Amino acid sequence: MDLLNIDRRIIFVFVFIGVAIPLMLDFSFPIKATEPVQRVFDEFERVAAEEEPVVLVSFSYGASTVPEMQPMALAILRHAFSRDIKVVAICLWPEAPGLAQQALAQVASEYGKEYGTDYAFLGYKPGLWAPIINMGQDFHDAWPRDARGTLVGDIPVTSAIRDLNDFNLVFDLAAGDSIEFWWIPFGVEKYKFAFSGGCTAVMAPDLYPFLQSDQLRGMIGGLAGAAEYEHLMEIPGSATAGMRAQSVTHLIIVAFILLGNAAYFASRRKVTA
Amino acid sequence: MFLTRTMPTLLAFLFGAVAVMIYYVPHTVAQEIERELSLWLRILYAFAYFLGLYSILNLHWTRISRREGGWAYSGVAIASFLVMFFFVVYNDGAGPFAPQATAGGYQWMFTYIHVACSSTMFSMLAFYIASAAYRTFRARSSDAAILLVAAIILMVGRVPVGRAISEFFPEAAAWLMEVPNLAAKRGIVLGVSLGAIATSLRIIFGIERSYLGGGEE
Repeated sequence: MDLLNIDRRIIFVFVFIGVAIPLMLDFSFPIKATEPVQRVFDEFERVAAEEEPVVLVSFSYGASTVPEMQPMALAILRHAFSRDIKVVAICLWPEAPGLAQQALAQVASEYGKEYGTDYAFLGYKPGLWAPIINMGQDFHDAWPRDARGTLVGDIPVTSAIRDLNDFNLVFDLAAGDSIEFWWIPFGVEKYKFAFSGGCTAVMAPDLYPFLQSDQLRGMIGGLAGAAEYEHLMEIPGSATAGMRAQSVTHLIIVAFILLGNAAYFASRRKVTA
Repeated sequence: MFLTRTMPTLLAFLFGAVAVMIYYVPHTVAQEIERELSLWLRILYAFAYFLGLYSILNLHWTRISRREGGWAYSGVAIASFLVMFFFVVYNDGAGPFAPQATAGGYQWMFTYIHVACSSTMFSMLAFYIASAAYRTFRARSSDAAILLVAAIILMVGRVPVGRAISEFFPEAAAWLMEVPNLAAKRGIVLGVSLGAIATSLRIIFGIERSYLGGGEE
């Protein structure tokens, strides 16, 4: 009967070991990109083949989801900069600017990219979906200056952008409902631009209808999705390392579920006998 | 009565009806109205932050002044706010009107305290989810058994170890996400959207007025 009601502290210890030990050891599991992640990769490759490619990356996540979202941001920025795609970054989440700046500075220095000519950071605007509507009408009107106070019209990477359709791809990194309730209804459906996104694992199931309807051209879901993207880029990072811990922890949870069910059926048999 | 009931209802009708119509009209005038409305929305959201700030500071200050249980934590919350506020205004020596500095006290606290603490809080969920999964995923009925099997396939199939065990797990997980999950989610989205449209129409036409406070007249 004890197996039916294991002290939760014992479960916590197993989960802790399942997370900590794999992070300290060096081993790997085979990673293969799923279709939604492959579609994001293919979208960036399509953009890279176009003339003067430029993407808009929207950072819509905060500090609590950094372990899941930041590796994703780094992976797509590496893909963009490695293929000479220019990046314009914005934030629709109040906590995001610090995280966006870190990601942009890190990857730009890795690839020797210059601020202004290769990428720009425009900072945060409140209003959830309202800035999306404004950007669809007139980008310079919606975002007159970058985070450094320079006029967007004076920055080479943004000077020729008139509205969202001038971006070869818009990519949203979402920890909330920004893909489903902001970008798709007020952006994609209204202005018809190419749109793709990345989200936390818990949100990913909600977005499958939009993948099938092609309103969302590919999706990176959670740390596993980020690891798949790192695999496609052949640059293993923190997401790939995190897969060791996540894999072992999932197995531990499954083992506890099976144990609980075995104990449950054994106890039922005893009661029936 | 006019200012508390009639006027807000008229404004809700006016802005609700106009906002719905201009969404579908590409005419320049409609676009200009939409631009103005969305700019006002952005301003309102910005002011909502002040309201939120007042609300949270007032809540914690009340707890401290009444010496309620755990009031010391409220003290920490207010002190944290004041320290962070000081460094944001100081802005690494550049002052409050310069663009936000990319280094200095604020950035240090954001990265090494705020991000670390927030991520830790979120990661605690893994422990509670593990405990909750063990207690709740029991095959007590055929429905529960189906849910249990689907959950196990997804948990194993969505991480690389699933592929290491067998190709069956990632393929079955992909099928679960792309077929039953997609169908259910689409149904939920349609249902929720129809409900939202119905509620919006009730608000626009003044049938639903509970948002004004005081319930039905």
